[in-house]
Amino acid sequence: MTTIALHVNRRAVELSAEPRTSLADFVRDRLDLTGTHLGCEHGVCGACTVLLDGVPARSCITYAVACEGADVTTIEGLDEDEVTTELRAAFTREHALQCGYCTPGMLVAARDLVLRLPDADERRIRVGLSGNLCRCTGYVGIVRAVQSVIEARRARNIAPQADAGRTHLGPAGSGRATSTRDEPRRATQASAPASESAAPGRIPDFTPATVLDQRFTLPHPPAKVFAMFDDIAAIAACLPGVSLTAPPKPERVVGLIRVRLGPIAAAFEGAARVERDPATLSGRIVGIGTDQRSHSATQGEIRYRLVPLEGGAATAVELSIGYTLTGMLAQFGRPGLVRDLARRLIAEFAGNLDRHMSGASPEQAAELSFWSIASDVLRARLARMFGRVFTGKGGAE
Amino acid sequence: MKPAPFSYERPRDLSAALSMLAASSGSAKIIAGGQSLGPMLNLRLVQPELIVDISGLSELKRAEVSGNELVLGALVTHADIEDGRTADVTRGAMRAVAANIAYRAVRNRGTIGGSLSHADPAADWVSAFAALGARLTLRNLAGARMMAIEAFVVGALESALHAGEIVESVHVPARTVSSHWGYAKSCRKTGEFAHAIGAVLVDPAAASARIVIGAIDTTPIVVTEAAELFGGRIAADYKQRFDTRVADALLAKAGIDDAAQRHIHVSVLKRAVLEAAA
Repeated sequence: MTTIALHVNRRAVELSAEPRTSLADFVRDRLDLTGTHLGCEHGVCGACTVLLDGVPARSCITYAVACEGADVTTIEGLDEDEVTTELRAAFTREHALQCGYCTPGMLVAARDLVLRLPDADERRIRVGLSGNLCRCTGYVGIVRAVQSVIEARRARNIAPQADAGRTHLGPAGSGRATSTRDEPRRATQASAPASESAAPGRIPDFTPATVLDQRFTLPHPPAKVFAMFDDIAAIAACLPGVSLTAPPKPERVVGLIRVRLGPIAAAFEGAARVERDPATLSGRIVGIGTDQRSHSATQGEIRYRLVPLEGGAATAVELSIGYTLTGMLAQFGRPGLVRDLARRLIAEFAGNLDRHMSGASPEQAAELSFWSIASDVLRARLARMFGRVFTGKGGAE
Repeated sequence: MKPAPFSYERPRDLSAALSMLAASSGSAKIIAGGQSLGPMLNLRLVQPELIVDISGLSELKRAEVSGNELVLGALVTHADIEDGRTADVTRGAMRAVAANIAYRAVRNRGTIGGSLSHADPAADWVSAFAALGARLTLRNLAGARMMAIEAFVVGALESALHAGEIVESVHVPARTVSSHWGYAKSCRKTGEFAHAIGAVLVDPAAASARIVIGAIDTTPIVVTEAAELFGGRIAADYKQRFDTRVADALLAKAGIDDAAQRHIHVSVLKRAVLEAAA
């Protein structure tokens, strides 16, 4: 087994797998991203096509281990993508699918054509889609759908990009890995101390799928609050549902976050790192975590900035919370609900902080227990959400 | 459809890769983009003990014009050439060939070095580079040697690579302003391996030509003294003078016994000649 660290749908993933594991099996079996379909498993049918560093590639004949450090985007990661959204509407309109097995790969290939082709030439579209087999439609609806999206975009003066924006030479997905051998790696460390970029356990930067801005105030001076924020163990004790599993260090805080959302309980085990800038009284916490039971994963970032209030007697804590959730749980994660969750969480955090700084101990919260006192509004939302899920319309929309 | 287990190494640089190859005594395979080797691994046609992944080696990702030739590192992909990320000294010939290899998702990872090393006679670069007069640099721990492409593919999936040796770079000579280029292939399905390839580089002003009949299940037929194919003389009217009987005789001599197969190859070659003259 080899540890493989890469980004899938904008989130950092670090899992072990056999070297012979294809990227397709890796995203399907290890990350439950089953939208990537396997047909021929030798590069002919195109069902497994994903984006690798932003360009289409066959995930059945690309081994996950060879994608170390790469950016992988599966069909699940294209939910919010502008071109794919237009293509989905066009596929629906033109009856461009029946059984749907080829559709994820077809959409990835079609998206590439929409971006690159200068116009909606039928022959070029058919040649461009020749690497994606469909046994249902006879391709007529698919070609019409792709034509209509290209025509619409060119009519809106969106120019084609023949090279899909790629600037590097060499295989898509290559080039960001370090070597596997111990000796060369040691040699590299001796000559260049900054070569820890792919060291195991590193918590990477990421681009959050969702960002929430929150703000609360504390009746304490900024300097005192900033000093408090440096006490990682104390801060963790104030965060509902958070427990630490090892003595924290700024570069690596290891712990557990328990979240309960109706019937769904998750325990995200993970790690975070903490950065601080005393000059601007600001800082950042970046973390990743996985929930074994649901095969879900989250990546989160909290940026904070302390602003003096009332002539320095009190502090406004400005938070920007970014996160990405994937896996089974992501099907339930609606931004509106999570915003509610974050607001409640932060209110509880602020209360705990204030009590701690005033000398009292924070209220221990083993889980996000506020769900038990959720408002009627929230309950109604949950009911609607599960209604959608169980009628089969909750997942992809 | 899963490969047999293999060990995997990602060497730090080319010399480390060559050391791993040398130490493996033939039980290792180099992988770059994996677009030829991947299917063979999945089908368990190939079961190496060790895979040495060179896809990250930046020293094989260069593309530079040096003197009168373009030097392409082995890891340059078909899409790199198709999109013009590499310089082009062939006045568009290479870009057009690259754009019609397999499918875009394959071209984004498949490399010229991997395609040549795989030595599939039906692969486009085997024929196209031969017509363009390209040469290869092969390297092992002891050093490097150069070789013409037509000497490199010695049979179906058989190259001139020695154990412990890899394709390091391709040297493509600049195409003269007066030369004409034509490339045609016949595929049962768009993007699949060709059943016939014709590649033609004709320079009527210099009265010279390089003619390749490829995808014949073995080493392509490369004709460098091509006057006989054009009635004894290569001039501006070469299109009219192209002699299909001479091409047919070349194929018969190469062991293509099936007249229908020879007809397909001759027809595809004729298309390439017409394209060059267009």
